[in-house]
Amino acid sequence: MDVSAQIHAELTKCGVKLAASLPDDWVAPLIERIAADNGIRHVRVAREAEAVAICSGAFFGGVRAVALMGATGLLTCTGELATLNLRHQIPVFLIVSQRGSIDDHRIYQEVQGRRTIPLLQAYDFPYHVVDRPEKIGSIPDAFETCRLQKRPFVLFLTRRLVKGEGAA
Amino acid sequence: MKAREAIDLLARHRGEAVAVCALGMAANEWWAATKSEDSFYMHGAMGFAASFALGLALSLPQAPVWLINADGSLCMNLGCLLTEASQGARNLKHFVVANGVYQTVGGLAMVNDGRTDYAAVARAAGFSRARTIAALDDLERQLPAIAAEDGPSFTVLQVEPETGFLRTPPMTYEGPEMKYRFGRALERRFGIEVFGPQGY
Repeated sequence: MDVSAQIHAELTKCGVKLAASLPDDWVAPLIERIAADNGIRHVRVAREAEAVAICSGAFFGGVRAVALMGATGLLTCTGELATLNLRHQIPVFLIVSQRGSIDDHRIYQEVQGRRTIPLLQAYDFPYHVVDRPEKIGSIPDAFETCRLQKRPFVLFLTRRLVKGEGAA
Repeated sequence: MKAREAIDLLARHRGEAVAVCALGMAANEWWAATKSEDSFYMHGAMGFAASFALGLALSLPQAPVWLINADGSLCMNLGCLLTEASQGARNLKHFVVANGVYQTVGGLAMVNDGRTDYAAVARAAGFSRARTIAALDDLERQLPAIAAEDGPSFTVLQVEPETGFLRTPPMTYEGPEMKYRFGRALERRFGIEVFGPQGY
């Protein structure tokens, strides 16, 4: 089973029935896999903060939801995460590519790599890094922690995890 | 028509609809008209009441969901119209109170100053049902049909800009209390589980 299939299986264990997404190339295979699952309502959005608010609305419908996006998209959502989710203590579970990490040699991702985690820490948003296939099984715990802590929770996927060792 | 008159009329025709209100004037006037706890009043995330309402409508298809949006909020997230149109939620009605100003900060002019036809924008985004209503008697005549039609629909309530502050007070609770009042109201009405057995 490939990485996307494993993550998808864990989200199914969590009871996720709605996903809202805007892709970057690292999370694109996972998004397309979820889109093909008739058991999950998939919503393609025009900007990432829509995904945050859609998942927040789904929470009140009693539906477990996940937002998927790249790290740059996450940075665009911080105002909404603060004034909607922090303000009202609404949990939202985000799966995000950890762009700009030490093995991501893209100049346009460099700032995201340096500043994303300090930004999450400033907001007191919990996060968890999944960098090896063996850690994918932690997703249900992460999802429950998100609900319990009643705030945004970011699950990062690393380059090595999603692209494999030695990928260009 | 004035914003208060339009919202009062919506409130009288809402029936069983669950409401999601954009922050500021829309939220304050809806609270003044309904005092309802089965409504979510945005206090932030300007522009994203529309996305919140879409997520709720998709997750609770048995509930009519009315979005009480405002033109300032709509313009902050026009892309929401593409997403709404693509999802085709039959239980979602999108109302926009359009006064052309940022009322909550004292009536300052909005971008593009009255030149934009929001119903035309919605049609171009893929809404098959979109219209603008500017007179109170027209709104009263059309609302029963709007309430009864399949969503997604988009209705612009063209209201008069008012000078200065409206000073309608906001709802009397906020933050986590709003979350729990709204969530518990939906649990009671629809028999769903928003919160788990330990209350979170």
